[in-house]
Amino acid sequence: MHTSGLVCALGASYEEFTLNAQFAVEEGELACIIGPSGCGKSTTLQLITGLLPLKEGSITLFGNDLTSVPVHHRQIAMVFQEYALFPHMSVAENIAYPLKLRHIKKSQRTRRVDELLSLVSLEGYEKRKSDELSGGEKQRVALARALASDPQLLLLDEPLSALDAKLRKHLREEIRRIHDETGITTLYVTHDQEEALSIADRIIVMHEGTVMQSGKAEEVYHAPNSLFVATFIGEGNTLPAHLLHQDDEARGGVIFFRPEQVTVHATTPGEYLPHLAFSDATVESCEFQGGRYRLHTRWQGHPIVCYCDRRPRTTSINFSVRKQDILLFEGTNSKNLPR
Amino acid sequence: MRLREMEQSRFYQHLAVPALLVITLFFLVPLVITLSSAFIGPGGGFSLAPITRVFTDPYILRIMRFTLIQASLSTLTSLVVALGGAYLLSSYSFRFKRLILALSAVPFVIPSILVVLGFVIFFGNNGFLNTALMKLFSLPEPPVRILYSYKAIILAHTFYNFPIIMNLVATYAMHLDRRLEAASYTLGASKAKTFFAITLPRLLPAIISASSLVFLFCFSSFAIILVLGGGPRYTTMEVEIYRQARMVGNTGAAAALSLFSIAVTSLMLIAYNRSQRRLAKSEAYLQPLFLEKRPAGLVGRALAALYTIITLLFVLAPIISVIVRSVYSSSGFTLRWYRQLLNVERATSHMGSALTALVNSLLIALIVSFIAVSLGIGLAASIQRRRRGRGTLELLGMLSMTVSSVIIGLGYFLIASRLVGRASLSYTLVVLAHLVIALPFALRVLLPEYRKIPATYTNSARTLGSTPARAFFAVELPLLKSAMVSSAIFAFAISMGEFNATLTLASSTIVTLPIVMYRLIGSYNYQGACALGTILIAVSALVFIATTATKGKKHAY
Repeated sequence: MHTSGLVCALGASYEEFTLNAQFAVEEGELACIIGPSGCGKSTTLQLITGLLPLKEGSITLFGNDLTSVPVHHRQIAMVFQEYALFPHMSVAENIAYPLKLRHIKKSQRTRRVDELLSLVSLEGYEKRKSDELSGGEKQRVALARALASDPQLLLLDEPLSALDAKLRKHLREEIRRIHDETGITTLYVTHDQEEALSIADRIIVMHEGTVMQSGKAEEVYHAPNSLFVATFIGEGNTLPAHLLHQDDEARGGVIFFRPEQVTVHATTPGEYLPHLAFSDATVESCEFQGGRYRLHTRWQGHPIVCYCDRRPRTTSINFSVRKQDILLFEGTNSKNLPR
Repeated sequence: MRLREMEQSRFYQHLAVPALLVITLFFLVPLVITLSSAFIGPGGGFSLAPITRVFTDPYILRIMRFTLIQASLSTLTSLVVALGGAYLLSSYSFRFKRLILALSAVPFVIPSILVVLGFVIFFGNNGFLNTALMKLFSLPEPPVRILYSYKAIILAHTFYNFPIIMNLVATYAMHLDRRLEAASYTLGASKAKTFFAITLPRLLPAIISASSLVFLFCFSSFAIILVLGGGPRYTTMEVEIYRQARMVGNTGAAAALSLFSIAVTSLMLIAYNRSQRRLAKSEAYLQPLFLEKRPAGLVGRALAALYTIITLLFVLAPIISVIVRSVYSSSGFTLRWYRQLLNVERATSHMGSALTALVNSLLIALIVSFIAVSLGIGLAASIQRRRRGRGTLELLGMLSMTVSSVIIGLGYFLIASRLVGRASLSYTLVVLAHLVIALPFALRVLLPEYRKIPATYTNSARTLGSTPARAFFAVELPLLKSAMVSSAIFAFAISMGEFNATLTLASSTIVTLPIVMYRLIGSYNYQGACALGTILIAVSALVFIATTATKGKKHAY
């Protein structure tokens, strides 16, 4: 296991929900926890901060066991989903709050607040109250306040979920930039896979209170270790394996491939060994998505989604998928199709 | 190590300790002492004799029956008067609507001794109403003779309580989603059908809730009955408890009656709480949709005018009468009673103790409001931020509401009679009794405001490095500032106007503003009483302004 960074083994049980999650984040990484709602993402963060009690397991940060350290001594800052800016304090007072707690002198405090405000691009906002800020500005202040506590670990709980799509994209780039500038180990919870894939060094996929997979974004996308991860991250097609694969061993399994791995042919493809060929699929709908077309097709009664560059001229098309791109899931095992 | 879990909850548990100590020592212990005398026989040992004697005495049984009947009747008349007004206020907009709605909240803050005084001054034989009618129609005799009768009690209760029902039901109705009625109309239902099938069932919890509150007020009404009842003919439980303890000296009978009274008030409070909970669950609280609909037709306009007059007559007229009478008598304008109050002029009768009473009342109210808010805030924090046992703690905080203030006073009277006391000790007892009475009200103001503060504020402060205590003082307390101010004013006013417990527990040497007012009314010095009443009106007005001001203000969390 890792010796540096964050190492968690979390166990806690609640009414109708048990959490049992193990994962590690390396020093300086920006890791995203992603999963459907109710999978235990937010609970995980609350357990790490110590706001919720841990039933069993441990939390280790840079080699120190934090399990019995009180919340305010953990040096783990958290940005809450609804920002939680103190409404009776100005922007500057909010950011200065953790500095005051650490008995930092007033002159230094003012300087640090200025630095942090410029880090989050909010120069000149010192005097404002939280109800005079937009959602995106509140988010930045909350981030600056969290950074002011000089945390060893920064937790972000769905920080962008309350913002509109355009601002979300911009702010997630900002979060990445601020992370790179400060180098603080960061754990980021989201349910938006695009957000996770685009900014994370590491993706931790959670499902029903357990960690399903942890790894680099590409790894999780291209080599999912379970059908859940495969279908949860990105779009994909699943078909019963026996339809295409006559081997006895694969009868009960499911094959999986991504829409962009499908090649659409104008003519009937020849017998080409490294490929699986699908002929006479019916096009049920065709969406223009700007750079490409997204086709909903039906092949032998099964829906298959594929991307292609041109709008098909006929309602019946043929396509193929390279065997090396196809994953075969059987029970809890997964492997590539034999070529 | 489960230390972390303990730490925060331990802090909040400690915050409740002072309030719980006060509740136990100064409410539960006196109550147990009071009620235990219901089980002590003439010989001194355990006996059910006081209870059986009370519950077989035809005189007492008649009082019980009368108490329940007058409370039911008063509630019913209040309901009848209130519902039309509530309908009018919630469905139409008319000239004096805002004024009526604001005035209907007045009885929440006005002390009962003031109601009595206003009633006598306005409806009395030489009151403003009779004087005006006699002048207008040149009558030789006052035409309205209702003082000291059954009618007077019901009328005073109605005057005191119908605005409460009207206010609660109308406010609730205004926040209901009117699109449901619109949907019903589009589905083909008539106006009447829609009202009975859609509107009324949704209003019912609010009506039940308001009615049970009013029943409770009427059941434990004390000052109104004491003054307007005119003797043993129209006596209720509360007055009888006071009479048995203070005049007859039969504390056993008083305790036995208290048992019955507590049983009824507890039942009513349970009903009230259940309907409140149903209300909270039943429908989303919408921003009021102001329908700019004028009352249609002659009937509608007449109804609007009628309710404007009724509200002004019942709520405002007696109060204004008190102020006017304090400076204006049949011989013209005079400041004599204020001069006597301030000891500028030699005082007559009970006016001699008026200044002392005013100073006492102000001091007692200041102390009570300060302690009540401090205890209330600790208790509210503890209730709100704990994981388990919230309901039990909240119930403990509200418990003294189940016991009428006469019974609370009785407990202190029993304690005081055992201690050979100096005046300062008696005043301490008055402060404690007021504190016990004011605490639930302070809590009721603070708790909803506390609930509005999201837990993430504290959590956020904690992850930024604050201890639970620092997070509480730096984040939560500043956010509760306005709630603390309004609960302090509330507690202050309750203490200033408190009459029932003070009269029951105090020896004759103890004077507060309401006590002196009562004595002045008893000796027919109405003008002096009105001068003191005007001061009490000023305090009530302050509370009224404070509560309506905070109601409009919304925090953006």
